[in-house]
Amino acid sequence: MTSQQVIFIILAVITLASGLVVVTNRNLFHAALAMMLSFFGVAGFYVLLEAPFLAASQLLVYIGAISILIIFAIMMTRRLMSTDESPFNSQWIAALFGTLLIGGLIIFVIVSVFSPFGDIIIANSAPPSLAVQESTVLLGRSFVDPDQYVIPFEIASVLLLGALVGSIAIARPEKES
Amino acid sequence: MVVTVGWYVALSVALFTVGALGVLLRRNALIIFMSIELMLNSANLLLVAFAREYGDLNGQILVFFVLTVAAAEVAVGLALVVVIFRRRKSINIDDMRLMKG
Amino acid sequence: MFAAPTLNLWVITPLIILTVWAIILMFIDLFIPAGKKQWTGWLTLVGLIPALALTLMQWGQTGGAFIAEGGQPMVVVDNFATFLNTLYLLTGILAVFISVSYIRDAGLERGEYYFLMLFSIVGMMLMGMANDLILIFLALELLSIPLYILSGFDTGSDTSEESALKYFLLGAFSSAFFLFGIALTYGATGTTSLPVILDTISLDDPLALAALGMLLVGFAFKVGAVPFHMWTPDVYEGAPTSVVAFMSIGAKVAGFAALMRVLGQGFPMWGELWQPAIVVISALTMIVGNFAAVRQQNIKRMLAYSGIANAGYILIGVAASATDPEAISASLYYMLAYLFTNIGAFAVVIAVEKLDGQKGLLVEDYKGLAKRHLLLSLALAYFMFSLVGIPLTGGFTAKFYVFGAGVTAGLYWLVVIGAITSVVSAFYYLRPVLYAFMYEGPAVARVSRGLMFVLVVAVFATLVFGIFPGPWYELASQATFGNVATFVAGG
Repeated sequence: MTSQQVIFIILAVITLASGLVVVTNRNLFHAALAMMLSFFGVAGFYVLLEAPFLAASQLLVYIGAISILIIFAIMMTRRLMSTDESPFNSQWIAALFGTLLIGGLIIFVIVSVFSPFGDIIIANSAPPSLAVQESTVLLGRSFVDPDQYVIPFEIASVLLLGALVGSIAIARPEKES
Repeated sequence: MVVTVGWYVALSVALFTVGALGVLLRRNALIIFMSIELMLNSANLLLVAFAREYGDLNGQILVFFVLTVAAAEVAVGLALVVVIFRRRKSINIDDMRLMKG
Repeated sequence: MFAAPTLNLWVITPLIILTVWAIILMFIDLFIPAGKKQWTGWLTLVGLIPALALTLMQWGQTGGAFIAEGGQPMVVVDNFATFLNTLYLLTGILAVFISVSYIRDAGLERGEYYFLMLFSIVGMMLMGMANDLILIFLALELLSIPLYILSGFDTGSDTSEESALKYFLLGAFSSAFFLFGIALTYGATGTTSLPVILDTISLDDPLALAALGMLLVGFAFKVGAVPFHMWTPDVYEGAPTSVVAFMSIGAKVAGFAALMRVLGQGFPMWGELWQPAIVVISALTMIVGNFAAVRQQNIKRMLAYSGIANAGYILIGVAASATDPEAISASLYYMLAYLFTNIGAFAVVIAVEKLDGQKGLLVEDYKGLAKRHLLLSLALAYFMFSLVGIPLTGGFTAKFYVFGAGVTAGLYWLVVIGAITSVVSAFYYLRPVLYAFMYEGPAVARVSRGLMFVLVVAVFATLVFGIFPGPWYELASQATFGNVATFVAGG
């Protein structure tokens, strides 16, 4: 095993195991912490995949903002942090259906990916060439380049504005009617 | 032997499945939301892995937009959760019959 | 032509107008005192009507803007996009007329309602114009997030909030599927641009197959197709009725727009692969939608299942387009006719609904309506006839063209299911009409001037589509993709 493989396996175990904790744990707060750990594992993969800027964004946005917001929401609704009633719902049919669907997919993909072990069909596979610094600069440029991603970038800003206005509209205290 | 993109495909499909099961099985709205975040992360991981494989940036750029969308969704979703909790003192979703019409 | 040769802003001018106007309106709204917020509503039209005019001017033009890698534009305008954009803008304008009095009477009158509606319309328009999966994903979110909030806009009501949370969670869940589909597509082709996907994808790639499946699941959620329809009835029941009228058309049409573009321009050569999937979904959607609607007592739930069933009919045209790309014109015409019939039906529901405590929403509450409101009852009857598909209505000609497309494509048994379920649908559509005319009862209605306008427009349009469908179908048939898949964008 190479060191890269060892790191991959360690990160994969962290990510998946904490993901499972999110899904199975009764305590909401522990679930949120496990989710942060899982996000952390994904950030580790970004480093491994030579996307350091994304790794930093993952830490800042997912762990720094999203997880913290979720923990805020848990605190605000804290009487539900742990309950004695079953944390699982009663939608066994839907769940069975979903499990079959997704399980089928997982087996399908794994079999097709690993049958010629690790030799996946890739259309025009090119060797990775971008230096780390270069990629961050290119990333920044392409967001504001009219010939690249300026329009999705603008749409994303409108999206954030809409979400901002909407959240305020819905969460502000009710006025006297 | 190195880590190929196939490893990442398998990992992200597994993570996606874990998240999807969380959505289908759990009854607390916040846990369901966290499971959805896991699913989004699995898609992001896949995108970055493929971007590395192709040596181009498009996959990474898409991940940034997903980050934006996730931030917008968390704002809206938590606003809803908090408002509902304020009224009902509960955010278990079973009464809402998520998967039933 | 503007500054840079590739920066063809003309393509997105209607979007710019709507976005900028939404932002300006936010500032104007600050100076409109509470209680006079109907002005914000009417001012929304100042953005919508010029956008509609510009969209109509774009008819017949084909162009792209924001050339991304691979030489393909991110955003395209072609007759397909223009046709659908006209539908969203008409829906938006009619929805404003419905909403102004409704949200005032329901005590929900806040300016945010209208900005969010404008943002949502921008997202809908982009769904049909986007030529790149990244942009489709963002458009999907831009149309959905305002709708989540609008569904929960009635912060004084438990059902509204819960329906919003349910809509939000399932919407985010389906977005995750859609995103995973995009990631797999990117993995299989190294691109997210639809025309480049078309050029690069290889038929024996398991990743691409999984990608297509995931994308279909995401779309099926958005258009409310069985088995991913379960959010619809609860959301329709809980959300404010004016919002339901808007999203039951806008969000559905936008979902179909992106579905048609992705299937028709990204994966057209896989027709024999996705056609069976669409056929099965279409059949299930028609059956489940119509049979479940029969049991409903609440008219909003009934219309929700009716919307599911109609998604099934629209899917017949999509399924037929696997062999004949022209067949989507039948689905496009169907959506045009459905727009007016559906918004008319919701206008009647709003007129009868009593806003103190969600009353007047049961089918029984229509008893005796014709005694006091004959014209309204006749309008209700006409819309319901149209939804059943009785001749001389837009609904009839729409079903006629869709079934015709199905027969041409050889999907005989699908058309048979469509015809049988249409007969079943008469049971539930005609029940409120029967109650209104044949029973004694205390039903009363209030028709504001805005509602009156919408009712008149909807009856008139349904009548026109029922009697002179030819020219309108001709327009829809010019709105297919044609050779857009291979066009080189020059702006």
